[in-house]
Amino acid sequence: MFETIEWGIIAPLIVIELILKIVALISLSRTNTTYGPKWLWILIILIINTIGPVAYFIVGRRGDG
Amino acid sequence: MQWLTIFKRENLEAARNFKWVWVPLVFIILGVTDPLSTYYLPEILDSMGGLPEGATVDIPTPPPGEVLIMSLSQFNMLGVLIVVLMSMGTISGERKSGVAELVLVKPVHYHTYISAKWAGTLGIVAVSLFLGLLSSWYYTNLLIGDVAFGQFMQLFLFYGVWLALVVTFSLFFNTLFRSPGMVSFLTLAVVILISMVSNVLSHILTWSPGLMIPHLSTMLAEGSVPGELWAATSISLATIVILLIASTLVFRTKEMA
Repeated sequence: MFETIEWGIIAPLIVIELILKIVALISLSRTNTTYGPKWLWILIILIINTIGPVAYFIVGRRGDG
Repeated sequence: MQWLTIFKRENLEAARNFKWVWVPLVFIILGVTDPLSTYYLPEILDSMGGLPEGATVDIPTPPPGEVLIMSLSQFNMLGVLIVVLMSMGTISGERKSGVAELVLVKPVHYHTYISAKWAGTLGIVAVSLFLGLLSSWYYTNLLIGDVAFGQFMQLFLFYGVWLALVVTFSLFFNTLFRSPGMVSFLTLAVVILISMVSNVLSHILTWSPGLMIPHLSTMLAEGSVPGELWAATSISLATIVILLIASTLVFRTKEMA
């Protein structure tokens, strides 16, 4: 299967996904208070693609909206 | 310029909590999904297995314009959800935390505050939609077939009006309620209601903003802008103006109370 996929096509998607994860982690490291423990958010951001970081940005932070 | 100051504060806020980064990125991911999955559909079916030996499946490749419409439908589900969730606290959250009072204690007009908020949110949404649809258009041209850039711009402008309407509804409910949860719930309810009612009564309500995507599909097929699309756009724009005025009035009375 992997020979048929041209990585040049998929690579931008992977890069965007990585940027999203990194930005979410930077934001997490700057926030003092989150809903739920921080280590849980780190796992969610790293393991669940796209939805993990989005969930963090929408409901993860307390206070600073 | 007072308006510019408030508008800049809005954008600074959005940059600080990374809204300017994550919303466009998510829209790009949403936009890329449909061209890619359409292109790789045979491989995906192959790897799933379950087909008897020797069975041939002929999946006709949809016309390139249809793939862009599929991306728009994607924006219409998950994109709208993200727009609503992103904008649910824009005023209500600031009133809860007291930031709105900090701004409004200065001689700032209510309509300045509301319109700057609206423009700030709309800016993010417009840029995100543009980038998302652009990446969809790029991948469609690369993998499936040519779609003219002019058609892409038409799709962006017409569909953008509908998303602007969603943003305006969210802003309106923001002025009515202090709880972001309530705001997002009501906005989603209104959007879903508009889409459902106009789909059921699509023969009567041809001018409904909820039918934007079917009209756009017709536009791509026929190569000219159907009259219903102009009607839906005009109705949307008029609703946006009315909602903005209503938001200012509601906000004024709520703040005085």
